[in-house]
Amino acid sequence: MTSPTDIGAAPQQDGDAGGTTEPFGLGSSPLRSDALPKALGIYPYAADLWAEGLLWGAVLRSPHPHARILGIDTSAALALPGVHAVVTATDLPAGPDGSPDGAPSGPIVADRPVLAAGVVRHHGEPVAAVAADHPDTARLAVGLIVVEYEPLEAVTDPEQAFTAPPLHPDGNLFRHLPLRTGDPDAAGEIIVEGLYQVGRQDPAPLGAEAGLAVPRPDGGVELHLSSTDPHGDRDRTATCLGLEPDRVRLVVTGVPGATSDREDLSFQVTLALLALRTGRPVKMTLTREESFHTHTSRHPALLRYRHHADADGTLVKVEAQILLDGGAYADVSAEALAAATAFSVGPYNCPNVFVDAWAVRTNNPPAGRMRGEGALQACFAYESQLDQLAARIGVDPVEVRRRNVMATGDPLPTGQAVTCPAPVAALLDAVAAEPLPALPVDDPDAEWLLPGGPGGAGDPAAVRRGIGYALGMVHMLGAEGEDEVATATVRVSGDHATVICAAVDAGQGFATLARQIVQSVLGVSEVYIAPADSDQAVAGPAARGRHTWVSGGAVERAALMVRHQLLQPIAADFGMSVELLQIAEGKITSYDGVLGMPVAEALEGKELWATAQCRPHPTEPLDEAGQGDAFVSIAFCAMRAVVDVDIELGAVRVVEVTVAQEVGRALNPRQIEDRIEAGVAQGVGLALLEDLRTEGGVLANPSLTGYRLPTALDTPEIRVAALLEERDVVAPFGAKAVSAVPAVTAPAAVAAAVRAATGLPVGRLPIRPEDAVTG
Amino acid sequence: MLPASLDEAVEALAAHPAAVPVAGATDLMEAVNAGRLRPASLVGLGRITELRGWRYEDGGTAVLGAGLTHARMDRPDFAALIPALADAARTAGPPQVRNVGTLGGNIATAAPAGDTLPVLAALEASVTLARAGATREVPVSHLLTGLDPLRPGELLTWVRVPLLHAPQVFLKATGRSGPARATASVALVLDPARRAVRCAVGAVAPVPLRPLEAEAWVAGCIDWDGSREIDPAATAAFGEYVAAACVPDGYGAEGAWEAVTEGPSAAAVRLRRTVAVLARRALGRALK
Ligand SMILES: Cc1cc2nc3c(=O)[nH]c(=O)nc-3n(C[C@H](O)[C@H](O)[C@H](O)COP(=O)(O)OP(=O)(O)OC[C@H]3O[C@@H](n4cnc5c(N)ncnc54)[C@H](O)[C@@H]3O)c2cc1C
Repeated sequence: MTSPTDIGAAPQQDGDAGGTTEPFGLGSSPLRSDALPKALGIYPYAADLWAEGLLWGAVLRSPHPHARILGIDTSAALALPGVHAVVTATDLPAGPDGSPDGAPSGPIVADRPVLAAGVVRHHGEPVAAVAADHPDTARLAVGLIVVEYEPLEAVTDPEQAFTAPPLHPDGNLFRHLPLRTGDPDAAGEIIVEGLYQVGRQDPAPLGAEAGLAVPRPDGGVELHLSSTDPHGDRDRTATCLGLEPDRVRLVVTGVPGATSDREDLSFQVTLALLALRTGRPVKMTLTREESFHTHTSRHPALLRYRHHADADGTLVKVEAQILLDGGAYADVSAEALAAATAFSVGPYNCPNVFVDAWAVRTNNPPAGRMRGEGALQACFAYESQLDQLAARIGVDPVEVRRRNVMATGDPLPTGQAVTCPAPVAALLDAVAAEPLPALPVDDPDAEWLLPGGPGGAGDPAAVRRGIGYALGMVHMLGAEGEDEVATATVRVSGDHATVICAAVDAGQGFATLARQIVQSVLGVSEVYIAPADSDQAVAGPAARGRHTWVSGGAVERAALMVRHQLLQPIAADFGMSVELLQIAEGKITSYDGVLGMPVAEALEGKELWATAQCRPHPTEPLDEAGQGDAFVSIAFCAMRAVVDVDIELGAVRVVEVTVAQEVGRALNPRQIEDRIEAGVAQGVGLALLEDLRTEGGVLANPSLTGYRLPTALDTPEIRVAALLEERDVVAPFGAKAVSAVPAVTAPAAVAAAVRAATGLPVGRLPIRPEDAVTG
Repeated sequence: MLPASLDEAVEALAAHPAAVPVAGATDLMEAVNAGRLRPASLVGLGRITELRGWRYEDGGTAVLGAGLTHARMDRPDFAALIPALADAARTAGPPQVRNVGTLGGNIATAAPAGDTLPVLAALEASVTLARAGATREVPVSHLLTGLDPLRPGELLTWVRVPLLHAPQVFLKATGRSGPARATASVALVLDPARRAVRCAVGAVAPVPLRPLEAEAWVAGCIDWDGSREIDPAATAAFGEYVAAACVPDGYGAEGAWEAVTEGPSAAAVRLRRTVAVLARRALGRALK
């Protein structure tokens, strides 16, 4: 990784050491607190948990994508020595609506049973679970459960979902979102059309799902797992178990890094149920294959576009049909669809936009949250369209984009004015101005740099270089009226501060950021971050880049309140206002230098506490014409990808990706670059490798051999050309979330580059070798 | 069990018929972790130092120990001896796997995408199989096709490879830059003494395939006495020939070799294109 400034040069120490060389406060780049333990292999993951006398859980999953359950016989499993409990849907308490097989659940729409009752709707759906005194016994017992299925026809083509018989009492349509703005009869001189397809990307977390449930003496249960939404998960678990929420405690442990929701609900409810049933702690770790079955993946999408433009490439009208395959259950499909629709034109101005978007139910694996859900699929389509337009009118792809980019204040097709900073043209110029990497050389020593990799069959004579550009956008925080709020508590005593906040650090670096915020506000270097659990106040899920904003905002407010409590008496003593005092390096000083008092002394042995909330301004749902102020803020990025393609074998090597991103304010520059690298790597993976395939609804490659994650060799050189800092006035610190937008934009940029290298249309992601072979 | 010599290992296997030999365990542990294999006991081969090296026989043959790791085969001294095997070893997975994964394990696993297999097929190598009190010599191709399989209690000890002192090439298409199994691979060796080209295609069928007619045809196109030149059109034609011979029209369908279809399937066309490019490039490099 190269960067314009070598921000990583400062000596780094353990995050908790308050040494003088430790980077300090906002704008510096301290090392992430979990980085060293994870690199050294001493970080405790959920799979490492242990409790005295624990039992092991295992789950029976459906081998069918769609089938009626005629009967379940658990007697053989129960008879196996060492088995303590076997549970099915009938063991769940009746749902609030009286449904006998337990309350269905889900993040937005509750339509997903914890254990399948009566019917299974996707391959791998949990049907029954076992607790036994040994993991092998549990798995053996699972094999002894006899389920009689009547296979039903599986609806696996999302286009068939409209006419197929309902797969669920809620029907097959999760949401239809029409968007209409401008003149439907507007027409341009130039028309380009395209059909675009995006495959199923899986978060494929290296740490597979694992957790421990411990029954409590009060009849409740304590769950230790790597949840990214402790309160949401607690509430949904409690509902499914028929318990009061305060009887369920969720302790967040060992999050291995998450780019989506961690832990599906079925996993944790089943775990809790087994613990309640047996009265013993129960631990469950999923296999790699189960992990692919259990968490949600990215929505496969089909997008049909028609762009109308003037002869000079100015957009006149965009028409689109977008179809997202939501799989068997609703999850967050409605929200993903809103993003796909609202950002269907991209960061470009277009007066006339007509979109119909649908998210449908099929018997494919359920799709859910995954970095830039909805926005990513649209980005691939609109950017492909702009490449086509550029080719048609014979101008450079950068130039066509320049002629159409939006700026701060311009409206989205939803009618919402983009009031946050939107310096899209500057981002594009920044990546376009960067020097290009050297061309491949015909030299045996450089053979490993050829497409196909080291030891591959690369032949320099068949390699073509391609350069592609893409602009991407994605919203931050919950949309369409969702209540966004986080609460945080800050405490100061002696020479250190503590932050208590239930925001989960899922690898996005929230804990590090919270420490920096408190350091900046209170001037103390030692800041402890308490582990998150559901007994703390609600901070919401770690998704949509919301913790930097909402939870970071709450931490800052709480810290400012503590600061006030600390300084108020001193200011009064000295007859000056609080504003004239400052805290730095553990010392309170006055503007005139008369006062210089260590924080510990000012505290006089007292502890100061403050709790604060952050609640961004409200949003509203999109109406029946797709209009409304649905988003709090939007992040933008520009990317240039350079690829080499072996046009005979279709092997693609991404040589370099250059990024320019609008970050509002760089709170931790190195962490931002880390997040950009992670996003680009994930986007490159989707562009070239990652596709969780299904055959008739059955997962074809649920393993890390079959599901190809990018390795270091597949990941390009990633250069950050610019981090533009234009403060977003409504955001705490003026900072924007940074993780999602690089992942949204990278697939489109790579596709554009492969298009440039091969002259092929490239309408499908991931790009298979056969899609990049010419002739 | 951790025998320190070949004899001890063979005896251990005789005494414990249910025991399974294990070398680098890169295939074996995968099967165990996935629950496909529950060995009653293991006979570890890692301490048998004699199997970790090679020796020469009759001047013209290298006898390779089954315990040679991929990493060892990739080193320059070995690469000078059997270049195609070194090429295959270099691509057989990520470094961590190649540091412990062995030649013997690759053969015994006999995966369709096993990278050393097409090379051994092209070299017409043979293996020594040892049991308590008996050894036998079997051509690699017989072992792989099941004509003469590894029997219970038998240990693969040596791999006999002719030294050809001529260019050899192994090329692998994977569809990615990082380490991966082959979607198709081609091994090609020149045998100037016999004026022969031998070629094997890996990963397209359960065992490596030899396009014998294409081999014979192209051998006739080469100027063996001069600079071993060949008409580029012949190189390209060789690629097509190999591809057509090794990828049936019905590729991708069940019973692909028997199926009567109207022209090649889309999958067959794609795979043929890849195999043809690999074979053409392999021949081009060998004759460069
Ligand atoms: C991540 C990963 C990537 C890989 N990539 C590739 C790849 O690209 N190409 C490739 O070809 N392979 C690949 N492999 C497979 C594997 O590494 C090779 O097949 C390796 O050569 C196996 O050798 P081993 O010593 O580890 O075998 P083991 O796992 O120890 O044994 C494999 C089998 O062979 C038997 N066996 C081993 N030695 C003997 C012997 N001397 N006599 C009789 N039986 C024996 C064992 O009983 C067992 O059944 C990969 C594996 C992994 C885990």
